[in-house]
Amino acid sequence: MDLENTKAQMRKGILEYCILSVLSRNSCYASDIIRELKEARVIVVEGTLYPLLTRQKNAALLSYRWEESQQGPPRKYYELTQEGREYLDDLDKSWDELVKSVNLIRSGKKSKTT
Amino acid sequence: MEKTIKINLGGVLFQIEEEAYRMLRDYLQSIDNKLRNVPGGNETIEDIESRIAEIFQSQKDLAGIITKENVETMISIIGTPDAFDQYEETASGYHTSQSEKRMYRNPDDRIIGGVCSGIGAYLNTDPVWFRLIFIIFTPVFLIGLFVYLALWIALPSANSDSQKREMYGSNFYRSGANIQGKTSEYPYSSKVGSAFNQVFRAIGKVLFIIVRIFLIIIGVTSVLAGFTTLFSFIIIFVFKYPGSFSIDAGEFNLAYLPDFLNYIVTPAMVPLMTALIVLIVAIPLLAMVYGGIRLIFWFKVRDGYIWLIGLIVWVLCVASLAIISFNEGVSYAERGKTTSLEYFGPTPDTLYIMTGKKISDMHADKEISVTDNYYRIYIDDENDLVYIRSRLDINPADNNSIRIEIERESSGTSRLDAESNASRLNYDFKIAGDTLYFDEFFMIPPDSKWSFDEVEVNVFIPEGTIVSMDKTTEKMCHSYYDYDYVKDPKNRFWIMTEDGLDYIESAD
Repeated sequence: MDLENTKAQMRKGILEYCILSVLSRNSCYASDIIRELKEARVIVVEGTLYPLLTRQKNAALLSYRWEESQQGPPRKYYELTQEGREYLDDLDKSWDELVKSVNLIRSGKKSKTT
Repeated sequence: MEKTIKINLGGVLFQIEEEAYRMLRDYLQSIDNKLRNVPGGNETIEDIESRIAEIFQSQKDLAGIITKENVETMISIIGTPDAFDQYEETASGYHTSQSEKRMYRNPDDRIIGGVCSGIGAYLNTDPVWFRLIFIIFTPVFLIGLFVYLALWIALPSANSDSQKREMYGSNFYRSGANIQGKTSEYPYSSKVGSAFNQVFRAIGKVLFIIVRIFLIIIGVTSVLAGFTTLFSFIIIFVFKYPGSFSIDAGEFNLAYLPDFLNYIVTPAMVPLMTALIVLIVAIPLLAMVYGGIRLIFWFKVRDGYIWLIGLIVWVLCVASLAIISFNEGVSYAERGKTTSLEYFGPTPDTLYIMTGKKISDMHADKEISVTDNYYRIYIDDENDLVYIRSRLDINPADNNSIRIEIERESSGTSRLDAESNASRLNYDFKIAGDTLYFDEFFMIPPDSKWSFDEVEVNVFIPEGTIVSMDKTTEKMCHSYYDYDYVKDPKNRFWIMTEDGLDYIESAD
């Protein structure tokens, strides 16, 4: 088994969830999202984010608006749509359940070995 | 200073170093290859481009030029396209485009053009076998050589990372070509193969040097030939250097081409035609010099468009000259002749034939002989005169009177036009007592073109008449078939016989 591959597989599902979570607080543009995800060490390279944003936007979870920027080109500010919020609520629930289940399994495993 | 390139990235203008530009271009190309076929891929590409623009803006130095380091930093932030899809669905369909294999020339592992190496990468085989095949088939009617050259031209070189990936297919990572700055080790080399490859590499180097020497020789020859021709062309046309030879030159003299054009085409066309002729000659010569210099110094320039423009201009020049010449030529399409007859009163015992106006008394700046030595055009620039030597023919008459027939011949758009041109040719002769005076030349009327005009004087003299001619007349009369006719310059008496003039032996 390839450890890196497994880690990537794990991050894959989480990343979409994280993007929606970041945007649930306030609308922001790609670099803000990237900064937060980088600080949380969920992503390594920025290029990863852009295809996901496009896909979520096309799935109508996100919408965006253009805003002028003092330096550089105009920026796309993303925000959650109503659909996105409902989707995120569902994800929140399933995440909580997932964490519970995983913890249960891990603690059970631990209790057996110790 | 390094060359910089201006680019527009996400709506922002940047100045970027050439090497950095190439790196950026390859990077964007690889992103494009990756995302092109994904739904919404173009939008993602635009997003990434504006992000790149933003990164560049935040890190460009005081001079505002994007360097290779800037591009490297940017790539480390955005990541390589391979890293993008670590989180992506693998079933998106774009993996097929990545694993699609294409045949390229391999610039990293080449002996001549990288053809064999490219085929090897395509077929997952050591390129040494293909090298052997080409070498074996080269002595067979040069088949190997020609197939190799054809493939060299047909196959693109795998220069960018994405092209290399396509070239190696699934073996890209094994090949080591994905590691920056490292030339790829071939993943299939056997020991025997690599030994052969070493030998081929050495042969390839020697071959390359031989070809280079050969090309340099061609280049030097081409430069010298082009330059000397161009030089003599300028000397002849601009400085009219061989003008001094032209008086005696029997040949049509190129130096006076522009002057001569004045008399054969519509004067307004002369500058245009001269320019066209100069371009038609000069463009190939300049191309020879330039091409030669390129062969000698072997520098790489994107000059395809120069060659193309040169070729187009040249073809246009030739075409225009052809059209103009055709239009001008129409005015020479038909020949026309007018004949005037004069009768000379009672036949004297001795008839004197003398020269009226002589060419030697005229002022001529240029002398051009066309077709044969007899037909000569003399040009007097000062007075804008063109005069041409006329012909004189003395024949036996079929009756008892002397008859003079003047034939004027010229060209024109139609026969009538030609005849009217012919009738305007100025030719003078005089009858005074028992003497005939014939001019040695005729003149083209002012503001008229030269159109192969000819004047021929036929004198018919009854048999038995004694004829005396001066030297010039004798020359006029006989020069075009026998220069040595006059044996004794003091004795100038002839008698007309059935077969023409006969020389009378000196009596005293």
